[in-house]
Amino acid sequence: MKNLERFGFPAFIVVMAILPNLLNSRWQAVAITFLIFTVVALSQDIILGKAGMFNMGQALFFGMGAYITAILNSQYGWPMLATIPVAIILPAIFGVLLAGPIVHLRGDYLLVTTIGFNIVFVQVVQNNLGGVTGGPNGIFGLDSISIFGTQLTSQISVYYFAFAVLLLTLFVMRNLEKSKAGRALHYLREDQLAAESIGINTRIYKIFAFALGAGIAGLAGTVFATQYSAVSPEAFEFIQSVLFFSIVLVGGSSIPGILIGVFVMFVLPEIFREFATWRFFIFGFAMILAMILRPRGIWPASFGKIPKFLIKESNHGA
Amino acid sequence: MKRTIRNVMLTLCAVAMMAGLSWADTLKVGVQAPITGSYANEGQGIENGVRLIAAQINAKGGVMGKQIEVIPCDDQGTAMAAAICAKDLVNKGVSMVIGSYTSTCAEAAQKTYFNAGVLQTSDGTADSLTEHGYWTFLRNSFPNSAEAAFAANYMVNVKGYKSIAVVSDFSSYAAGLAEATIAEIKKAGGNVVTYAKIKADSQNFTPVLTNIKSKKPDVIFFAGYYSDGGQLRAQQKALGIKADFIGGDANDNPDFSKLAGSSAQGAYIINVPSPDALPYDIAKTFIADYQKTYGMMPPSIWGLMNIDGMRAIIHAMEHNQSFDTKKAADYLHNMDKPLEGITGSISFAKDGNRKGGAYVVKEIQADNSYKIVHAQ
Amino acid sequence: MDIFLQQLANGLTIGSMFALVALGYTMVYGVMKLINFAHGDMVAASAFVGLTIYTQVLGQATSLVAVIAIFLLAAVAMACVGILLERLAYRPLREAPRLSAVVSALGASLVIQNGIMLIWGPQMRIFPELVPQVYWDFGGVVISLIQVIILVLSLILMIALYLFVEKTRMGAAIRASAIDQDAARLMGINVNNVIALIFVIGSSLGAVGGLFIGLYYRGITFNMGWQYGLYAFIAAILGGIGNIPGAMLGGMLLGLFQAFIAGYVSSTWADAFTFILLILILIVRPTGLLGERVAEKV
Repeated sequence: MKNLERFGFPAFIVVMAILPNLLNSRWQAVAITFLIFTVVALSQDIILGKAGMFNMGQALFFGMGAYITAILNSQYGWPMLATIPVAIILPAIFGVLLAGPIVHLRGDYLLVTTIGFNIVFVQVVQNNLGGVTGGPNGIFGLDSISIFGTQLTSQISVYYFAFAVLLLTLFVMRNLEKSKAGRALHYLREDQLAAESIGINTRIYKIFAFALGAGIAGLAGTVFATQYSAVSPEAFEFIQSVLFFSIVLVGGSSIPGILIGVFVMFVLPEIFREFATWRFFIFGFAMILAMILRPRGIWPASFGKIPKFLIKESNHGA
Repeated sequence: MKRTIRNVMLTLCAVAMMAGLSWADTLKVGVQAPITGSYANEGQGIENGVRLIAAQINAKGGVMGKQIEVIPCDDQGTAMAAAICAKDLVNKGVSMVIGSYTSTCAEAAQKTYFNAGVLQTSDGTADSLTEHGYWTFLRNSFPNSAEAAFAANYMVNVKGYKSIAVVSDFSSYAAGLAEATIAEIKKAGGNVVTYAKIKADSQNFTPVLTNIKSKKPDVIFFAGYYSDGGQLRAQQKALGIKADFIGGDANDNPDFSKLAGSSAQGAYIINVPSPDALPYDIAKTFIADYQKTYGMMPPSIWGLMNIDGMRAIIHAMEHNQSFDTKKAADYLHNMDKPLEGITGSISFAKDGNRKGGAYVVKEIQADNSYKIVHAQ
Repeated sequence: MDIFLQQLANGLTIGSMFALVALGYTMVYGVMKLINFAHGDMVAASAFVGLTIYTQVLGQATSLVAVIAIFLLAAVAMACVGILLERLAYRPLREAPRLSAVVSALGASLVIQNGIMLIWGPQMRIFPELVPQVYWDFGGVVISLIQVIILVLSLILMIALYLFVEKTRMGAAIRASAIDQDAARLMGINVNNVIALIFVIGSSLGAVGGLFIGLYYRGITFNMGWQYGLYAFIAAILGGIGNIPGAMLGGMLLGLFQAFIAGYVSSTWADAFTFILLILILIVRPTGLLGERVAEKV
């Protein structure tokens, strides 16, 4: 396991860095979406996997980031890069506002509430609230990102932009794991009562997890809007949230697990495009089978620095 | 690491630019259409038609010596896929794009084609398509506003309805048609008692219809699609609303009558005539060729309109003796003599709209057949 | 006033369909603490099965007997699917973490939804007009025959279920398993059989709901299950999930709420209002209207 972390991770980065040069334009597009979905799935993992809150509305924050970028660019003429801070901070603030009243809810109720937020969001953009969201069509023809006056119009440059965002997210995730907040989240997921009794303010940390997850998803939204030069309500329906939810649980709440999850749930269906009508049918069976064979995901989270003999006893909760 | 990435990026940008300059020795024609998805048969109709006319032109020596190469892209009838198609077709170096079928998909792709100077011709009827001022866009059907004017005239002057209720869903097509019709009704001195919006596919329209009932309209004009229209008609009857029912062009589908069941009889539908009713010689020849090649009728008139759009662009290029897209657009916007088309004579206004209109009103009979009761 | 009464009648019709479907969610949740995401798709599947029974088995006969036969056969077929679903997708995960069963349920939902698409195609199918279009006008309030049938049949089924659960030995076994499965097992209750029974009852009530959708709206699509499933699930939560009278109450209230919101406030924002109502209720009374306040280990 240790070796894998030491060698597997750099190997992954090298492979991903040269990958787009080996692909044709269709697979480049798939690869970019793979990167974006990985970032969203990682942000979902902070809320669902790390903090243990049943969030089935992650597409809301993803979509919010994408729409903020699109609106600021198309309506107010902001350069794409300049929209990034807003596309991170505004979803994060919404994360706090939405999570505040609901984090105390029992698992399944939280799940339904977050579905509700997602559906309200889609209805808001569809009904063209404030006349800026473009209604059911969405917003089209966004600018491309420009760095030092160079327009990043080609797919490959968008790929590297998405890749940089993924590396940034991985960096945040690794630091989170080692930070005080990360440990607090870990305790409260394992046993909330015990976490509270040793003085962890669980409410604050849960809201923090929501805000962090929302901010990262918002950033991914900006990349998404860049890739397609467009945003549209159907890309952020709650069925997308179901996808991110399943990715984290099928893959397992670890970085390799999530990469596998995104690959299985998103890239494999693209590979089997010819069987388009069959793929989700088979895919549903695969989800059931994966859970029966590996209920904690294909690559479950390891327990950090805690010695193995200590954790043997406590295999409750998840 | 970062420097490497930047270098790689810069190199690749350079390569991409070089690729853009590569020489083209065929006339590349893109087809952006819903080849799969809910509108698959319409999309395939467009692709088949374009391939047929391209083969016919190529057999006669092509366009100014260049053979036509057809490059299709499936937009699945969704806006996101349409945006991807637009980028893809532009990267492949097309000089014109035929399609798409829905206004939403055409609109999603418009700006990309405009930025690249690629001509686009679509049967989309939403008025917003020609409101952006893109010289690259040419509408080969008639805009919603033309249908709206026809519908308003029929309701106010021909039928003499005193109070009219208008219903639409949220799509750009339906809302656009509804709003344009309301404006035309008011211009004709008619009275719109209510304008209600429904959510497409939500099935339960009784709350909205109950509100409409309290306004006691003479007629309900529905601007949405047949899948909602049939249910709306059935629920209207079930609520005992005596008003007539007039559906816009998207209700012209056999499923409308099946959904409405015994309530379908007496409903009116406004649309352009179906392919078999086109009186022109060029239409008869082309439809016969189409049937011979594909073993079926074209699915609707919309695919034929797209082919007329393509023929008009090629006609302009041949007239100018130039493949320049801007010159072709300039010529088409100022045509003094219209081109004979499969769907009637075709010429364009300055804003890219097709001039004219050819609507009919059909009444659904007891056996679910249509009877034309009024024509433009 | 007649407008108000008309919306009331509409709301009760829709509400009773929601309630029938909600019962399936609430009974499964009550015993297994699992959101059966596949239930909505089972409802959709039932409408398609009913359509096939009508065209293939009954040769398009439209008598009263034929309608009853469609209901019975579809209910039996869906009960079988329900048992199969529980055996294959849920039973192996009974000891696994809760979320694994949720993902399995989502997978099952995909399987059923796309199974419908593979068998019956992606386009809308049209249900036959089996109930004649008969209407009665009560001073401006129009009630149709199909509305009366839906309302009366739903009420009969719900009362029957309530009596079954409250008054019979098997009902007592269901209630006991819902409170504590281990204790129920110690009392000699075969919990596996209870769970199978729940899936049979829930699926056949859902089947009736699906056929109502087909008969009332006529147009059925392979992916309509999500929409009805979600509404029914909200209804179950409104009433207090796990609580059978709660699901009935929640369904009726949700139907009325939607009718009045769409009628008096805005049909465009009906979905948003429904979820805002749900969120508010959960914040104020997290266990729903009739749910008991259970202190659950987190």
